[in-house]
Amino acid sequence: MQAFFDVKQRTARAVRLLFLTSLISAAPAVIHAQQDSQSEPEQITEPNLALAEVPRQNLSGLEWLERLAQINRTSNFEVSFVLTRAGEEMTPYLWRHAVLEDGLEAEQLNLQNGPGQEMIRLGNVVSVFEPDVQPYSIYASAISGPLPSDLLYNPTALTDAYQFITIGRTRVSGRAAQQLRIVSRDNKRYNYQVWLDEETGMLLKLDMVDLQGSLLEQIQVTAVNVSEQPSPYFSRINPQALPGAVAMTPKPRQHQWEVKFLPVGMEEIKRETRRLAMTGQVVEYKLFSDGMVDVSVYVQPAQDSLDSDVVLRHSTSTFLSLTNGQVQITIIGKVPPQTAYEIAHSIGAAGE
Amino acid sequence: MTQQHEKLSAFMDGELDDNGFVDSIKNDSESLAKWRSYHVIRSGLRKEASVMPEFDITAQVAAALEQEPTVLAPKSKWKSLPVVNKVVPFLRQSGQLAVAASVAAAVILGVQQVNQQPAAEEPFTTFQTPVIPGMPQAGMAPVSLEQSNILPNNRAGDSDALLQKRRQINALLADHEQQLKLKQAEEQSQQAAESEPNQP
Repeated sequence: MQAFFDVKQRTARAVRLLFLTSLISAAPAVIHAQQDSQSEPEQITEPNLALAEVPRQNLSGLEWLERLAQINRTSNFEVSFVLTRAGEEMTPYLWRHAVLEDGLEAEQLNLQNGPGQEMIRLGNVVSVFEPDVQPYSIYASAISGPLPSDLLYNPTALTDAYQFITIGRTRVSGRAAQQLRIVSRDNKRYNYQVWLDEETGMLLKLDMVDLQGSLLEQIQVTAVNVSEQPSPYFSRINPQALPGAVAMTPKPRQHQWEVKFLPVGMEEIKRETRRLAMTGQVVEYKLFSDGMVDVSVYVQPAQDSLDSDVVLRHSTSTFLSLTNGQVQITIIGKVPPQTAYEIAHSIGAAGE
Repeated sequence: MTQQHEKLSAFMDGELDDNGFVDSIKNDSESLAKWRSYHVIRSGLRKEASVMPEFDITAQVAAALEQEPTVLAPKSKWKSLPVVNKVVPFLRQSGQLAVAASVAAAVILGVQQVNQQPAAEEPFTTFQTPVIPGMPQAGMAPVSLEQSNILPNNRAGDSDALLQKRRQINALLADHEQQLKLKQAEEQSQQAAESEPNQP
């Protein structure tokens, strides 16, 4: 256990990060860049060898994202970033990745403020440590954090739903960057802007904007450290001390309803019938995903429902609930309210 | 029986003032079915029901849940580890995930009603103008009915119904968060199970 909570080191890092973030908000980026190079000696000496040869001006949007996927899977790095959402405080994260000696991928995502949250991935097992909850492990090939895993590891999976447009060169986090737009093919979802490091391909900044172009969510990288050797942090993990992984056996269920409208490229990835943990209400549930965003659809009997229709925004998610005949339909996800409304109204009896 | 149906019809229109009547139809399955179909018909007439009348999932859901065993099952892999087996009974293990979900914090920033009716009990007065953001407060602005449309978010006199509604919204939001966390877990579990024999 002690391996995970090296308090002293973490505090030092948090202080440094706080210093950096305050500099970013207060001072021009130039000062930040200087500070950065003083406090952290430039370690990005040798970028990925195979990739260095490619003439970067001519890369397409997808090729840029494939570079990102490659560096995310194959290199040792340590990235600090802050997550900002409209009307909320900034949340700082520390993200480490390493390929260990035996070829096993290791990854860590640590929430740096408050009591924190620590997620550690070894191969395809993710262990989660949170305050007030017993640690647990599940099988997953990526940590589910603020960055969509398909964007980091599998950009081709996004091509059905989105197109990638290269914008040009710019400067982010003190480094030369390539700017891309990720635009949904049917204009039914929020759009994204991505900035990637020209030299390494590493993610530097990700914006989520609504259809009018105003910013909803921003991830800004404040420090990148790509190194030859895995971070010493990973050598302190004792795999035996991690909780055993719990297998989740899917139980596909037939529902009597189906969703007839979905944004282009969005697919059903799960359906089931179960009880809500907090209220014990029985719901029929379907989960849809296009790789960037996930949309939950709940159908439950109307008698224990909200007695009126509700639309609200929870953080960046839209919550929409309609009572339609004898059922209450609820849509939750990072999609514009109009899209949630269209999905809700397309629900009808199956097999029609 | 016909008289019963007439009374039912009158009761539905709010024209029957008999408290015992509710109990009498509650205990009568035929009346209950009638009650339900009256409502379906009424919804149909009002063009509210875009869902088919037989689209009643209550019974099926309840039946399905009866047969449902616990969803989480232990993997043979960690169960076979002697230490884990002794320490953590698998039922507790599944409980942990449920707790993890319920703790996911859900904060509602603002509730805005879509179909909120203007509150009828609001008397039409020309004093005590409610404060509306963005509206100059100099002098006495005329009161309009729309002003009661916005549901105040954090007033002391929250009704039980409103709290209940918040609870339900939070339950759904928390569940959504949990589903995202566990999104990959199911397919990966299958893959892990398939590749199990190859692992040392």
